[in-house]
Amino acid sequence: MTQLLLNIAPEWVPTLENFVVGRNVELLSALRHALAGSSSERCFYLWGETGCGKSHLLQAAVGQARVAGQSAICLCRAVPQAAQVVAVDDVESLGEAAQVELFALYNQQRENGGILLVSGTQAPAHLQLRDDLRTRLGWGLVYQVHALNDTEKARALAQHAQARGFSLPQEVSHYLLRHGRRDLPSLLAVLDALDEQCLRLKRSPTVPLLKEVMEKTL
Amino acid sequence: MSDNKLWESCLHFFENSLPPQQFNSWIKPLIFEIKENRITLTVPNSFTLKLVQERFLPEISKQAELFLSSPPTIDLRLGSKNLSVKNPDIKNSVIPSTEAITNAINQKPVKNQNKLNKLLTFDTFVLGKANQLAHAAALQVAESPGASYNPLFIYGGVGLGKTHLIQAIGNHVKKLDPQAKIFYVHATNYVSDVVRAFQTKKFDEFKQFYNSLDLLLIDDIQFIADKPGTQQEFFYTLNTLIDGHKQIVITCDTFPKEISGMEPRLTSRFSWGLTVAIEPPNLEMRVAILLQKAARTKTQIDESVAFFIAKHVRSNIRELEGALIRVEAYSKFHNQPISIELAKESLKDLLASQNKQVSIENIQKTVADYYRIKVVDLLSKKRTRAIARPRQIAMYLARELTQLSLPEIGGAFGDRDHTTVLHACKTIENLRNVDALINSDFNLLNQTLRN
Repeated sequence: MTQLLLNIAPEWVPTLENFVVGRNVELLSALRHALAGSSSERCFYLWGETGCGKSHLLQAAVGQARVAGQSAICLCRAVPQAAQVVAVDDVESLGEAAQVELFALYNQQRENGGILLVSGTQAPAHLQLRDDLRTRLGWGLVYQVHALNDTEKARALAQHAQARGFSLPQEVSHYLLRHGRRDLPSLLAVLDALDEQCLRLKRSPTVPLLKEVMEKTL
Repeated sequence: MSDNKLWESCLHFFENSLPPQQFNSWIKPLIFEIKENRITLTVPNSFTLKLVQERFLPEISKQAELFLSSPPTIDLRLGSKNLSVKNPDIKNSVIPSTEAITNAINQKPVKNQNKLNKLLTFDTFVLGKANQLAHAAALQVAESPGASYNPLFIYGGVGLGKTHLIQAIGNHVKKLDPQAKIFYVHATNYVSDVVRAFQTKKFDEFKQFYNSLDLLLIDDIQFIADKPGTQQEFFYTLNTLIDGHKQIVITCDTFPKEISGMEPRLTSRFSWGLTVAIEPPNLEMRVAILLQKAARTKTQIDESVAFFIAKHVRSNIRELEGALIRVEAYSKFHNQPISIELAKESLKDLLASQNKQVSIENIQKTVADYYRIKVVDLLSKKRTRAIARPRQIAMYLARELTQLSLPEIGGAFGDRDHTTVLHACKTIENLRNVDALINSDFNLLNQTLRN
């Protein structure tokens, strides 16, 4: 009989603090300054390969703005209304009508002094979007979000495990990095599955258990 | 002590205590007024309002106390909104709720605001060969609105300074005649205004407002394409204003006859006045733009750094300014002066992504698609004008955009001699100066391939 789990796993919320910064130190600092109002740059475009942390940063920035009492919203593949901090994740998936909306939102945010954060996988010059929108995205601060290297990923995994209330043995982390898909969202998903399996079976996170989990999830 | 001295003292204090960018963004735009013990600060937007309230009010109050006999009351005003803040007890100050700020942010523009950006003037417009005609026409219209070219139609690719020029006209007219009724509107907002007027049944009010203007500046008119209701309304406004000798200035991404989804009666009227183009800036102009932008943000950059950035970011002015912003941010973060090395380092991601070499095959395909001919025709021996001209443009683009030698280019176009390539390049270069259509085709293809 399988042990059922109470759905009380600590909710993991992306924040600027739990973002494993890697080579993105300057970007993180620029975001913090913008959110604190100590920099005049209001429009950010973050680009980089899938799984490099763009969504994390966008959600974290919006979360921080909300905590500070500002109106803030983050949407993926859709364009929200104007607010003090607005984030649009995955701009390349926007259709023609949504691109016009984002164009209008961009102008509105610029006029009102609100912050706009947009993410995509390509640098502005290579975005397959309306010209007027594409050039506007290149007008503000543009940062490539660099994916983490293996050491940084191991640190991110340890940090994530700690947030879920267990410690991750180094050999488990190494095995996962050597044998699993190495983008961070996939790694974290395996880790979550491993944690659940540990609780069900009342076992510690070990390499054999990880192998079982990976076999099941693959 | 005069009122001015109080504000001068505040400005002096903040100029010395804040980085120039913050001072220019948050303090400089504040409009200061004082009546007895009551200070009114008008702030441009709700974000600045909150920031001033939270960060700068204590010091403004402290400075005011040095000049006034009793503690002052400071009002922060946002548009028509008044938020009273009693000082010096900052703890009791009214911090607007999130909802209030969201409402303020979402507030629709008040019709009597002209929506002009004071920074966009003729003085801050960088002149070059690419925009001198448009600049001259704009200046003439601004000097005598309604009396020279009406409408003035300015067209050009994205990010080349059309909005700057149209706003400069508004600011110039405002300077000459502060009573003039001026309104700048982006075409998307014009469409929303029309829709809202229909929904709220306030169409008479809407018409009355637009028809009463002395100067209407409408940006990116292509956005009303395929919207017949809005086009009809704009047609009436256009007629009323022109008949009344009121000035209209229109910008667009292409010339009137090329706008698809626009009623012919409108495009024909767009051509009644003067149609002028803004072309992509050349290297020298891009450098001048960077130097001026840097001077505006009080950033020290050498001409050599400006040349480096301008040489590598060629597509449009927005991306050029974006690159400078990135270099400035990098310099501030690492606390190092701006040098070529620093510029290289800070832009390396961007440059790496841009350095995708344009191939000759790509040029041939893009040109063939543009002129709706086949690539094989470009490479064939056919010499009809419909084929030969695109072929010459493609050769010219290949010389501009690739590092190939002329014999190599000739070889890629059906084994032609290098003198044929040379002739093609000279022909297109000459034609660009006399034939606006060829020039516009070249600019469009050039921008497409570079991007």
